[in-house]
Amino acid sequence: MNLTTSHLIALLPLLIVSATVIVVMLGVAWQRHHFLSATLTVIGLNAALVSLLATLTVTPIQVTPLLAFDNYSVLFMALALIAALACTTLAHAYLEGFDDRREEYYMLLLCSVLGAMTLVASRHMTALFIGLELMSVPLYGMAAYAYRNRVSLEAGLKYMVLSAAASAFLLFGMALLYAESGTLEFAGIGASMNQGGHDLWLLAGIGMMVIALGFKLSLVPFHLWTPDVYEGAPAPMSAFLATVSKLAVFALLIRLFETAPVTGNDVLHTVIAVIAFASMIVGNLLALRQNNIKRLLGYSSIAHLGYLLTALVASNSLAVETVGVYMVTYVLTTLGTFGVVALVSSPYSGVDAADMSHYRGLFWRRPYLAAVMTVMMLSLAGIPMTAGFIGKFYALAVGVQSGLWWLVAGIVVGSAIGLYYYLRVMVGLYLHEGEQSRRDATDDWGQRSGGVMVLLLAIAVLVLGVYPQPMIALIDAATMATG
Amino acid sequence: MEIAFYLSALVAILSTFRVITHTDAVHALLYLIVSLLAIAMVFFALGAPFAAALEIIVYAGAIMVLFVFVIMMLNVGQESIERERRWLRPGIWTGPAILAAILLVVLAIALWGGGSLGGISGDTLQATEVGIRLFGPYLLMVELASFLLLAALVAAVHVGRDEERQIEPDRTMNEPAQRGPDND
Repeated sequence: MNLTTSHLIALLPLLIVSATVIVVMLGVAWQRHHFLSATLTVIGLNAALVSLLATLTVTPIQVTPLLAFDNYSVLFMALALIAALACTTLAHAYLEGFDDRREEYYMLLLCSVLGAMTLVASRHMTALFIGLELMSVPLYGMAAYAYRNRVSLEAGLKYMVLSAAASAFLLFGMALLYAESGTLEFAGIGASMNQGGHDLWLLAGIGMMVIALGFKLSLVPFHLWTPDVYEGAPAPMSAFLATVSKLAVFALLIRLFETAPVTGNDVLHTVIAVIAFASMIVGNLLALRQNNIKRLLGYSSIAHLGYLLTALVASNSLAVETVGVYMVTYVLTTLGTFGVVALVSSPYSGVDAADMSHYRGLFWRRPYLAAVMTVMMLSLAGIPMTAGFIGKFYALAVGVQSGLWWLVAGIVVGSAIGLYYYLRVMVGLYLHEGEQSRRDATDDWGQRSGGVMVLLLAIAVLVLGVYPQPMIALIDAATMATG
Repeated sequence: MEIAFYLSALVAILSTFRVITHTDAVHALLYLIVSLLAIAMVFFALGAPFAAALEIIVYAGAIMVLFVFVIMMLNVGQESIERERRWLRPGIWTGPAILAAILLVVLAIALWGGGSLGGISGDTLQATEVGIRLFGPYLLMVELASFLLLAALVAAVHVGRDEERQIEPDRTMNEPAQRGPDND
């Protein structure tokens, strides 16, 4: 097994991110400098993003039995890198006031992105497991980053313990699959499934893997950690958790199900459909009573992943495209929302400003920031003219095409419930200011990288809502090389 | 080797069970060592002597001894034993135990119905083959695993740092760090 030049070109994004981790680490060892570390991180992530263009010239290509670089994985890698860039800019503003070591955050973020990229490209159980762990382990550190703050430490520990339990399920599932099919490649497992005969073990294995991945995606029976971790983790880290980890795991789930199809199996099909339906309804209902925006976003992300799962249940010609479109809109919107929360909470000063009362009358103090928040809330609710509508439209279309009527009903009912609490946040922005002590973004937020990024996101959400053709064309081209 | 496999697997399960239920940390750790040894035996029975040796050297030999020392130095006394005992009240564990028992029954039925308790066959896997595999097709995973360790190390160093001397005397864990004047 030799690595040729084209293999190395395909690996270039991974190599650049790895090199950036080392450079940032050596930089910290030489001298602690917050701005320098952040800049190096941004340069590395941008270089990796550009190198994806080089990767595109050699796709589809299989590098070792473990990784497959096709247009599909390049799309999700690009999305992960963009989300990581956004989180870096947010974190820079946020960590300015952090009275502890700040540079480790960037190393953790880069390692986590490396894991996410491996996960997106994996076509083998080993790559899946190492990628998932490489993505999750830094997240424990990131969630508990402000560890003197009790809620942050609690978030980190909760995520770590529950994540370890999920990993145990994942490994057990893989072991069962390997015992039955004798291979760890997705395609090989798919082939042995089609032969039939060992349905029970394969089903148990895939079922256990679904439990583990469902935990990472915070789907309904496995969602209990989500609001606590979202609330406790510092805002830029919550943004990272809500975007990069979700999109990487979901991209992997789709690849797993496309290359090792189990949709022929009625039991699993029904189970996933029930999980999707429960996620939509439970996520939205629990979000209704929240007064903390970060908790609210945690519950709403459960509902959004439920909508996305419709595509997986349908698994028809539109499924991969739906996942791409929905993921792009979801990532942009979630980044924008958490971006506003992070900007209002920046620079770090103990607990994040996530309570609804902090945003009361935001429009009268920071009109542009309130406008961004409004756009993001409308997009999350799926109102036309925003990107969220395009995503929801695709989710509905894919459900209708496959005749999954009760999932379609779930999306409609869930969206209706969702509208109430998204609008509640929005209305609060325009009310008169309350008596409570308030938190506010710094005066120059619009000139700083985090602020510029949030404004760009708002523009992107609006533009994609009105003129989504370029995005759809791009995602159409992101075909997956199965097998 | 079949009987060895089943016996050591049984020992592994029983000792792990005692790790969880034991109230004394040191005793629980000793059970954990037994459990690891039993798992090494399982590996050996399955024809992977290299993995078995690694299990004993790395886990039972190095990591567990370190654990035992740390626990002994921490000097957990009667109080924590009492606390553990309180945590293990029947009311707390009966629910999960029943659920786990149901899973066990399901597994047993599946065993009787689907799979069969066949003999153990296969080749013995030597260290050379493991090495060739690791640095052949799995090379990228070895490299990524090193990044995994790096990330875990960075996270652990950041969260677990001893900051006694650097913390202002009036701050405790329960109060968030106060920096900004407009913090509520």
